[in-house]
Amino acid sequence: MALLQIAEPGQSPKPHQRRLAVGIDLGTTNSLVAAVRSGVAEALADDSGAVILPSVVRYLAERTEVGASAKDAASADPFNTMTSVKRLMGRGMGDITRMAGQLPYRFSAGDSGMPFIETAQGPKSPVEVSADILRTLRERAEATLGGELVGAVITVPAYFDDAQRQATKDAAQIAGLNVLRLLNEPTAAAVAYGLDRGAEGIVAIYDLGGGTFDISILRLSKGVFEVLATGGDTALGGDDFDHAVAGWIAAQAGLGEQLDAGQWRTLMQQACAAKERLSRDAEVVIRFGDWQGCLTRQVLNELIGPFVARSLKACRRAMRDAEVDAQEISAVVMVGGSTRVPHVREQVASLFGREPLTDIDPDKVVAIGAAIQAETLAGNNRDGEELLLLDVIPLSLGLETMGGLMEKVIPRNTTIPVARAQEFTTYKDGQTAIMIHVLQGERELVADCRSLARFELRGIPPMVAGAAKVRVTFQVDADGLLQVSAREVASGVQASVQVKPSYGLSDAEIARMLEDSFRSADVDKSARALREQQVDARRLIEAVESALAADGDRLLDQEEREAIEDQLDRLRGLLDSSDAIAIEQQAKTVTQITDAFAARRMNATVSAALSGRRVNDIED
Amino acid sequence: MGKPCYFALFDLQPSFELDRDQLATKYRELARETHPDRFAAESDQRQREAVERSADLNEAYQTLRNPTSRARYLLSLDGTELPLEATVQDTEFLFQQLQWREELEALQDGADMDGIASFKARLTQAQNELHDAFSSAWADTTRRPDTERLVRRMQFLDKLAAQVRQLEERLDD
Repeated sequence: MALLQIAEPGQSPKPHQRRLAVGIDLGTTNSLVAAVRSGVAEALADDSGAVILPSVVRYLAERTEVGASAKDAASADPFNTMTSVKRLMGRGMGDITRMAGQLPYRFSAGDSGMPFIETAQGPKSPVEVSADILRTLRERAEATLGGELVGAVITVPAYFDDAQRQATKDAAQIAGLNVLRLLNEPTAAAVAYGLDRGAEGIVAIYDLGGGTFDISILRLSKGVFEVLATGGDTALGGDDFDHAVAGWIAAQAGLGEQLDAGQWRTLMQQACAAKERLSRDAEVVIRFGDWQGCLTRQVLNELIGPFVARSLKACRRAMRDAEVDAQEISAVVMVGGSTRVPHVREQVASLFGREPLTDIDPDKVVAIGAAIQAETLAGNNRDGEELLLLDVIPLSLGLETMGGLMEKVIPRNTTIPVARAQEFTTYKDGQTAIMIHVLQGERELVADCRSLARFELRGIPPMVAGAAKVRVTFQVDADGLLQVSAREVASGVQASVQVKPSYGLSDAEIARMLEDSFRSADVDKSARALREQQVDARRLIEAVESALAADGDRLLDQEEREAIEDQLDRLRGLLDSSDAIAIEQQAKTVTQITDAFAARRMNATVSAALSGRRVNDIED
Repeated sequence: MGKPCYFALFDLQPSFELDRDQLATKYRELARETHPDRFAAESDQRQREAVERSADLNEAYQTLRNPTSRARYLLSLDGTELPLEATVQDTEFLFQQLQWREELEALQDGADMDGIASFKARLTQAQNELHDAFSSAWADTTRRPDTERLVRRMQFLDKLAAQVRQLEERLDD
């Protein structure tokens, strides 16, 4: 029995009881989880020592595979294996149709117009796929850290819009994770870099991942990380390089549209491998089917040139927004696997007029920065000298006004949290309701911006046109998520919405997914229990078999031996059943009936040892 | 409004002249105290308050950091709320505006990057001159009408600067 712990009044028994919190980099290609342990932030490995979890999920009828095994099956089972699903987060059917051709899935529309992918386990939304990746990382962290997590900081591309952020938060909820904060990836990288190097001044973080690109310009000053401007493209990354190379191979090999989904996946994997080789070598030989050819680094540079140019354009815009010149920037930090490509490094160096820093592990730096922030938010650093992150909204937020125009209420690159109000009025005599259409984007026309929500303020007392004063307030919290409320000033009539993007998941869909995940957690648990019983039973059968072979004739009479073999047969018969309890029961029976036999063997061994003979001699 | 004076928040006297670095340093200091991250482990109520206080601080900082909004704020403290859009009866400046606009259109048609750079430099100079003019007009209480006219001019030049930025972006495509 454990002794009772007695603490002085007012003193907790464990003065430094730590609240477990992690940082998660949920990437397009790869995902990682990191935590601060003994004061050091480090990425956590799985059972086999791997830190990187490929962001690939395979849905088989009976089970779900996440990570390397799913990735290996991508070509063989293209329709049930989800890759690069981050590109679909927060996207509507319309966006997907535009991306079609690049995606080998079968889509269907959900209740709220969100795309679902048809799999062997039924329709799956991109949010659920992300949730399965997050759940795997949560379980890894809980196993490594030895306890339940109070929460996680999950990173998102800085240029993610409200819908994409909300989708990420929904995925975390389904995975059973409490989100301490959605943190912008370049900001996370800046934290890891800044703390590691003790850097001060203005730095640029160029983050080119598998599917998204961000550029952030920050001022680092005594532990305060102030984002001056951010920019990017949520559909630009290493995947585009792979597509360009795959397209080139297909054209060279004279392959047209006849490639099926599996062949296309194989081609993409070859393209990716060729691209990676060209980061070291000047040329690479590629074989695909009967075709064989040589891809040089120069041709690769031409293929990816337009994508790199797009990223540089975003960099120039971010510098203009931050009102800084390239000369004022004291360091350019490269983040994301795609910054290994030499052409990317050269172009970035020439834009900023300095060699970018590539000595920080571009795969891990984001997760590590997130882990440091998670530690702060979990309340584990109470010494006061903690870091402070001042981030911005990446895209302007506004409202639809007369004539289908977007009126900005909060311009892009405004520091968050922020609250801002704008007044509108009625345009008809006796008008009693006003429609509020919330938008995000930089373009003037409503049609070119992303529609986030629509709601109506009703019950305005009838007045002459222009007399009512409707005050619309936008509030953006530290996660970059928006809440909008409207109020008629004279009458006090009020309405507000937590902006849930129109094409995001409906609450009913989230509730259904949560239920599913609990149910599948139960299924997972009982499946694991069954497998454990089967493994134990097999071990027992083998042990009894070898004991019978060794000493059965010598230590058992005929009747005893038959009884044991009879029970052993029954256990063998149950091995392939799915009844964990029956297996466990029968295993117990076998153990009981062999007890006496085991005792006799033990005695024989002991007396043999006493008489100076070795155990091996007896067993012979 | 019930909100504290933005200048007082930063330990400053209401004045157009201010040290931007000092303002930034004070802002970071205050942000440390009010940011919601500091209240992550506290009640929802405390967290909501922190979000509001932080938003107010950010608003105050943005207002004071930008010379035009700082000038408008000074006028509002003095009881003059300038409407954002107003008909301008400043004929001298109207002519200058027309000139700037025509010049910018010519640059756009010619996609002249060097021309844009020198246009920007002259624009910045004109803005600085306006700031100096506002500063001395503000110091003299008998010249209030002048200050309003100068703020409108500053607003116009801000708009022009935004158009130059848009043009640069378009030409970058």
